[in-house]
Amino acid sequence: MKALTLQRLIWICGSLLAALFVVVVIALKVGAVPISIADLAVNLGRWIVGRGTQLPSEYQIIVFGIRLPRIILAMLVGGALSVSGTSFQALLRNPLADPYVLGVSSGGAVGAILGLILAPQQPLIAPLMAFVGAIATIAAVYFLGRRKGQLDSTTLLLAGIISASFLSAVISFLVTTLAGRDLRGIVFWLMGDLSTPLQPSLHWVLFGGLILGVGAIYTTAADLNVITTGEREAIHLGVDVTRVKLVVYVSASLLTGLAVSVSGAIGYVGLLVPHAMRMLFGSDYRVLIPSSLIGGAIAVVAADTLARTVMKPTELPVGAVTAILGAPFFIYLLRRRLQ
Amino acid sequence: MKIKIHRRFLNARVLRAISAGAAGLMFLCAAVIVRAAQSNGESAKTPPLIVKDEAGRTVEVPQPVKRIISLAPSVTETIYALGAQDRLVADTDVCNYPPAAQKLPKVGGPFTPNLEIIVSLKPDLVVVAANSGNRKETADALDLLHVPTYATNAKTVEDVLASIVKLGDVLGVGDQGRALSESLRLRLQDFHRRLENVTPSRVLFVVWQEPLISIGQETYIADALRRAGAESVIQTKQDWPHVSWEEVVRQQPEYLVFASAHPDEILATLAGLRNLPGWRDLKAMAENKILIVSEAINLPAPRLVDAIEELARHLHPEAFADPPRPPVVLHSNGGSHSPERAH
Repeated sequence: MKALTLQRLIWICGSLLAALFVVVVIALKVGAVPISIADLAVNLGRWIVGRGTQLPSEYQIIVFGIRLPRIILAMLVGGALSVSGTSFQALLRNPLADPYVLGVSSGGAVGAILGLILAPQQPLIAPLMAFVGAIATIAAVYFLGRRKGQLDSTTLLLAGIISASFLSAVISFLVTTLAGRDLRGIVFWLMGDLSTPLQPSLHWVLFGGLILGVGAIYTTAADLNVITTGEREAIHLGVDVTRVKLVVYVSASLLTGLAVSVSGAIGYVGLLVPHAMRMLFGSDYRVLIPSSLIGGAIAVVAADTLARTVMKPTELPVGAVTAILGAPFFIYLLRRRLQ
Repeated sequence: MKIKIHRRFLNARVLRAISAGAAGLMFLCAAVIVRAAQSNGESAKTPPLIVKDEAGRTVEVPQPVKRIISLAPSVTETIYALGAQDRLVADTDVCNYPPAAQKLPKVGGPFTPNLEIIVSLKPDLVVVAANSGNRKETADALDLLHVPTYATNAKTVEDVLASIVKLGDVLGVGDQGRALSESLRLRLQDFHRRLENVTPSRVLFVVWQEPLISIGQETYIADALRRAGAESVIQTKQDWPHVSWEEVVRQQPEYLVFASAHPDEILATLAGLRNLPGWRDLKAMAENKILIVSEAINLPAPRLVDAIEELARHLHPEAFADPPRPPVVLHSNGGSHSPERAH
């Protein structure tokens, strides 16, 4: 492992942020309604310094009222999913761990659907219930994954996969049995959807949750490096493994629950982005967590931009785009590592 | 790979720098979010009409409504029937009736209309169909963008008539709406008189063949069937139930009813299904008691009454032997209703 220096961390995060900026500008430019890059640059500048834009009002609504909030949402969701994937991979010492594989996303989805059913008018109930669902699922999976008092990675992954399929069945059951309710929107949302603008207040909830979750996980980054070598070794080296696990499980569930409650199932992000970052920058969690955060944002903004432009004006679910692009890219990365 | 352990590697100076950087980034993101939240907002000049729409939402409709976008085929058809089509600036990919509606600019499909295109067309009012085609999320999204959005929501034939009147009022063509609704009501009353003494035919309304999807009793289609002297054999509160073949075979419907603009395609599909378990066990299949009615029965719009008449005439021809008594509006194939002739 390369030693971590501040210079290296800043360099990595800086270059990723630059890439994110480029992707965001492209995402702001392209769409069903064309806008020139010059118009965009001038008005983005005016808008950032707080002066009125020179665009006709409908363009202003399109760029700043539709595209920008959607891009922000994509960044928040991508960062959350990717960091929670990274954390699960560290805790379970299993590169296949991911919020989807472990059933945490499905748990979040069940929670969010129950929230929508119980209180459709309360926009904050669904993310809250999704968090509860995600944390209940990881608790159940964790409990089921123990053998003789020890956490067994294989058993745990199996428990996760079984929980995921059980919870998917619960979702099917809920969606088909709720008579007289328009649940097609939920089915669409389950496929992974960022096309529906959210209340601005929900953006704040997401943003706060992301900072809280990622911040909490980052405080354990050095400990996670130790835990990946083995829990017993970590205990001998003085790491409070129980506390680290509690912090990371709760935070990663929070991140997953928040992401699922607003965007449904956007798969592969939690698996792919941490892998790509590990291959690019090594497996030091002090680098991996911030780089996954930014990398996840880049990945989901790019995927969502494709989702809304490849077949415009019709939109694809972003979950389909991440899966179609994610699987081959994953295989490419794996093969490159083998060579 | 050997991992060197540096538990206290990041010294205080490094941590301070990282925290400062993170705080700066957070501040930037927060500023961007605040600006995004503030940036939408525009006010109308003339006092708007404030109405409660059919989904219970309060809508401020600017007056007069000059630019309308329809997000559902039933809405497009109703707007043409009200004679307000000159103000319709766009509709969806699936709005194919009347044929002129196909030539309008498109905003995508009803389920995932493109918000950017909708906004770029500067509509005064977007009309959605809450219960047939559109998602609640679409209406909510348009609300957030301050685009006035009126939702129609018809669950019965009576609702369809009421919806025509309400939409007419909102669009400033209230007289046309009331006249059209009244003429449709007279026709429905005529059917009711004619069909009073007939035994309702037991039918299976087939929405989709594989898997077999039918309709629930609380849909406007089930209501339309009842008004045509038919009864759906599927008893459920779900709107679009995936029904069990056992139940269908046990019920043995007298007729299989399909809705399509292309009867040949349905017949070709049925020829392929004829020998499959389930289908081959239906007496209606063996006796070829298959009715293919106009796809208008699928839309909560004025032509629903035409579809009811078509179905009723097929099922109970004896009831339609003598000419209709009350004067009714002529529904020509051209598609434009002429409500002013009703009175």
